[in-house]
Amino acid sequence: MYLFDLGKLPGQQSMLIFHALARMGVEALVIVSPKNPLVSIGYFQDAGREIDLSFCRENGIPFMRREVGGGGTYLDENQVFYQLIWKRSNPRFPVEMKRIFEELSIPACETYRKFGIEASFRQENDIVTRDGKKIAGEGGGDIGACMVLVGGILLDFDYETMSKVLKVPDEKFRDKVYKSMEENLTTMKRELGDIPPREEVVKALIHEYEKVIGRFESVALDNRIVERMKTLEKKFTSDRFLFKKTRKVPKGIKIRGGVEIRYGIHKAKGGLIKTVEELEQETIKEIGISGDFQFYPKDDLSTMEVELRKTEFDQGKVNNKIEQFYEEHRIQAPGVMPEDFTKAIVQSESEGSE
Amino acid sequence: MEIEGYHFPDDLYYDKEHCWCRVEDNVVVTGTTDFAQKMAGEIVYVQLPLVGKSVTQGKPCAALESGKWVGRIYAVVSGKVKEVNEELEDTPDLINGGPYEQGWIFKIEPSNLEEDLKNLMQGDDLVQFIKSEIIRVAAEKK
Repeated sequence: MYLFDLGKLPGQQSMLIFHALARMGVEALVIVSPKNPLVSIGYFQDAGREIDLSFCRENGIPFMRREVGGGGTYLDENQVFYQLIWKRSNPRFPVEMKRIFEELSIPACETYRKFGIEASFRQENDIVTRDGKKIAGEGGGDIGACMVLVGGILLDFDYETMSKVLKVPDEKFRDKVYKSMEENLTTMKRELGDIPPREEVVKALIHEYEKVIGRFESVALDNRIVERMKTLEKKFTSDRFLFKKTRKVPKGIKIRGGVEIRYGIHKAKGGLIKTVEELEQETIKEIGISGDFQFYPKDDLSTMEVELRKTEFDQGKVNNKIEQFYEEHRIQAPGVMPEDFTKAIVQSESEGSE
Repeated sequence: MEIEGYHFPDDLYYDKEHCWCRVEDNVVVTGTTDFAQKMAGEIVYVQLPLVGKSVTQGKPCAALESGKWVGRIYAVVSGKVKEVNEELEDTPDLINGGPYEQGWIFKIEPSNLEEDLKNLMQGDDLVQFIKSEIIRVAAEKK
């Protein structure tokens, strides 16, 4: 198996490389960081629905769709990506998805441990610290005759830019995403107080992968691979591919496994209701409700937000809570019934679409 | 038939990409096997091929996602896509619930059926292939 220790490559090339190698049937471990920032979206995502295109264009941040799973993410030079490519028929590698992620995440976990960060793999496909904060996300897919697992060691992370590159319904939601990321996502810098030297992290990562897979043969990019990347770049950055309509309608942003910021909107007779809720393990951790409806006593709207905390994210349970609140607080909200709030908060599939 | 806990209806044809097909008059219904859906886990998205698209036996023509993994769905026979199971777009886990029934993925109007069927497995060939796959999975678990 080959090792491509590529240092830093211009933005998109750092992601195009694994797509090219997989198509060429080259089994390898690629270690790379993007020299300049870019945004990458998952295979089932539509750039127009997921990314703040104006922000990216104004700030010269390119975006691309990748052929592996997961959500939209901001990549920069402070992330060290490991991209493992192997032939589907190679018996050395697992077949079951769960085991692929579990076993092939061990080297990344061990690398963190080597630097004093207790990290472990957690479903669904995150690497987390002892206190449950995400410190790496992974995705994978079948490409050509190969399988590919991609993940990134976070030396540091630009939370602010990440929250700006995502398409969100309003600034309140963006703020919520930013705060939740700060709370749920960590980095080597945050854990250790400083960024360790990149080369030491890379060395540790390669060493740990060799323990699992065996010795690598170190090689450099050749013209054939570079040409393949150039061909792929045209496809991957084409409007046709980037804005491919998919049925995956974003209803929120996943921060880490089990934590998600969702938004809701519902037009009730009495006005428009907008909600932003942070869910943890399918339970409302926090919720904000706004809109142009009338609600008396006025102060009770924030009391209702507090009451909804710790409620299971289930239509029936949310509705019961709101009905009870209406009754106990003698709420007067012309044209806005408890079920209108419920519809805004727990939207059904069809209501969630654009 | 049951092969070590995985269900494989006898009247279907199977390929080595873990896809199946059922011949119904002049149409071939296709999907992914019970073994494949169990290996994938909960399927969260399915991308269906376009109706009318030409597909080639053994080539990928659709995709699905489970647990941040994008898997491909291969054409079991060559021909033209005649119909797709649109229900999967909203309820992709129908594949987990019934890979051979409500979880069918698309139908093909075959162009070379007789020859294509010769490349697919049934009976003993299938048992042998699935058992070798199961051995691989079991070895991983040790």
